[in-house]
Amino acid sequence: MKQMIEDIEVRAREELFINIQPIQAAGRLTPEAMKAVIAYGDGYSTCDWCRKPFRLDKIQRPPISEFHIELAKFVGMDQARVVPGARRGFQAVVNSIVEKGDSVIVSSLAHYTEFLAVEAVRGIAKEIPLNEDNVITAENTAQKIEKVKKETGKLPKLIIIDHFDYMFGNEHDIRGIAKVAKDYDIPFLVNCAYSLGVMPIDGKEMGADFIVGSGHKSFASPAPSGIVATNHEWADKVFRTTQIVSDVTKRKFGIKEIQMLGCTLMGANLIAMMASFPAIKERVKHWDEEIKKINYFVDEFLKIEANKILSELPRKHTLTKVDTTESFDKIAQTHKRRGFFFSDELKKRRIVGIFTGATRAWKMNTYGLTWDQIKHLAQAFQDIAKKYELKVV
Amino acid sequence: MIEKAVEETFAALFALTDLRQIFRDTKPTYQFNNEQREKIKQIIEKVRQSLDVIEKELIK
Repeated sequence: MKQMIEDIEVRAREELFINIQPIQAAGRLTPEAMKAVIAYGDGYSTCDWCRKPFRLDKIQRPPISEFHIELAKFVGMDQARVVPGARRGFQAVVNSIVEKGDSVIVSSLAHYTEFLAVEAVRGIAKEIPLNEDNVITAENTAQKIEKVKKETGKLPKLIIIDHFDYMFGNEHDIRGIAKVAKDYDIPFLVNCAYSLGVMPIDGKEMGADFIVGSGHKSFASPAPSGIVATNHEWADKVFRTTQIVSDVTKRKFGIKEIQMLGCTLMGANLIAMMASFPAIKERVKHWDEEIKKINYFVDEFLKIEANKILSELPRKHTLTKVDTTESFDKIAQTHKRRGFFFSDELKKRRIVGIFTGATRAWKMNTYGLTWDQIKHLAQAFQDIAKKYELKVV
Repeated sequence: MIEKAVEETFAALFALTDLRQIFRDTKPTYQFNNEQREKIKQIIEKVRQSLDVIEKELIK
């Protein structure tokens, strides 16, 4: 592929290959978002028509204000803001609620940025153990709360649980945990980085006080982009506005929101999210088809002897962790290219996205692939297995 | 008018973006169905028209 500018190459892997990279699948842009990037790539492009009260979510042209209102409705919450990635959503909530020495309950499969958000305010993250199926349950959550209460004499200040985790793509018992959170009167943040934008999400129905989503993981948007949404009860706290007055110049800063550091996601990233939004609203209605496709793939993949699926079955998400230690890794042991043989063989079949050299436990994501592409993918793994005389039943 | 040339520049880029999407939808075999073939023809025609306008406005 030709160089774009000096040593920056054109990235055409989405046009040339089936890409099953686990975190890239649902962040691939819609054509509408690609057009938005072309037209709104200049720095402060969203600010052409910024008028009083000079805040991003109040801009009427392009209809950024309307987008915020529709986004809140779409996730079943009262207010939403766009942020530079889910991590900034965690940070906004944690900064608003947690103080030095406070405990925050997280999953044993929590994303590292949840820990960092807690660490930044000198809070203490406490992990809920997984059950035997690698799922966080309401029962384990209640036990952890009791343990923290016994150890510290105080209840945790916040519970953060991933709807679907990044490691296995397993679904966790959000509604059960929400009930526990309510019983203890602890605010509850649901990390929907892998669900908001690919499947229907209704935050209030889930029992969430806060919903956080990722634009670049699941909303067909460029990185960084994300969403934080909350209900009326918490909106004034998380989206509180500045009161500061500078000492020398006596300046005030209008209605800028402190946790958002004023305006958040300006320019092409926001307009791309807005441009993808109609397609997002449509695609979440077809999540069941995505689940059929990953389960078809899994069935075919398991026809290769000794292949295993480490994620829960049947699959409820397209992000899936597999184990090929007893199949493809055995080939790698004696192959002159070692583990690279596997990515070489896949690439020959126009498939990329597996960590190069990985042949034991690895993750993949089939989100957005057509049925033809899913069948091509399944066939490719079986063809490689047959080539190296692995049994395919 | 320069506005027309600029407008057609974006129109051509957007049409080519739709072509990118067809590559994405049909990779890695690129077996186009009738609807996709028709869409490709329309995109090529649209880009040609846009280039004609740009040429007329800027060069001729």
